[in-house]
Amino acid sequence: MARKKRAIDRKTKIGDIIVVALVLAASVVSVVLIARAGAGERGSAVVVEVNGKQVMRLGLSADRRVTVRGWRGPSTVEVKGRRVRMLSSTCRDKICVATGWAAGPGKSIVCLPNRVVIRVSGGRKPGRVDAVTE
Amino acid sequence: MVNTRRVTNLAILVSIGLVLSIIESMFPPLLPLPGAKLGLANIATVIALYLFGPSMALEVTVLRCLLGGLLRGSVVGLFLSFSAGLASTLVMILLYYIAHEYLSVIGVSVAGAVTHNVAQLAAAYLIVGQAALFYYLPYLALVSVPTGLFVGYAGRRVAVSLEGLSLAAR
Repeated sequence: MARKKRAIDRKTKIGDIIVVALVLAASVVSVVLIARAGAGERGSAVVVEVNGKQVMRLGLSADRRVTVRGWRGPSTVEVKGRRVRMLSSTCRDKICVATGWAAGPGKSIVCLPNRVVIRVSGGRKPGRVDAVTE
Repeated sequence: MVNTRRVTNLAILVSIGLVLSIIESMFPPLLPLPGAKLGLANIATVIALYLFGPSMALEVTVLRCLLGGLLRGSVVGLFLSFSAGLASTLVMILLYYIAHEYLSVIGVSVAGAVTHNVAQLAAAYLIVGQAALFYYLPYLALVSVPTGLFVGYAGRRVAVSLEGLSLAAR
């Protein structure tokens, strides 16, 4: 392929900055938009998994505290006000407890040492239609 | 006529890309995002593009993806990396041609990294069929900025060093 040899630019050009700025702006805007769209949604149920196996399924509507047996010891899960959190856990770093409340569908709280995963499931109420056209 | 020097250069670049992708696969994932990779293998493509031109870049990418897929033995992985590699290389070549007045290696590489992630996501969507995958897109695009910058700077460093040598016979 006959092509004139083009010297390699040693300097960064203005277009580089524009490309980077465009990508950054577009992704930050989309992240914010996605976060906003999901913020109002609440999940309907909570699934608790130990070592990858589902051990419990709780409704989010009733406030309660349950303790599951994790890999290392008991973990206490609290459901309150349509939200869920890890109240206490048998692990060193307490990252799961520090995660705080989770409410939106798809949100999860993970305790790796104790192998406990709390996952909020379900967005819309079952049976409700998305939209109706006439 | 087959140009031996060109074949040799191509082989070297493909091996660089393969070795880089093997090295990269030994690192633990940087972020809890599937598909968020450093894209080290792209350095080979960037070098090929700026040192030898678009056709070399395309050949390096195609061969690297095919060989890498065969080495890893995953057909899905081959499909993902091939489509993503092809798309990002084509975008880089396009920018290299139309925007070389304003874009240096760095911008081209960032654009290539973003395209790589977008194309990979689109290809994954074709396989999985879950539109929810595209929620990852902004995060992946965000991650691809630093990785694209890194690849761009590394590629420029190498290309500038090799530029003076007389190996660039096409």
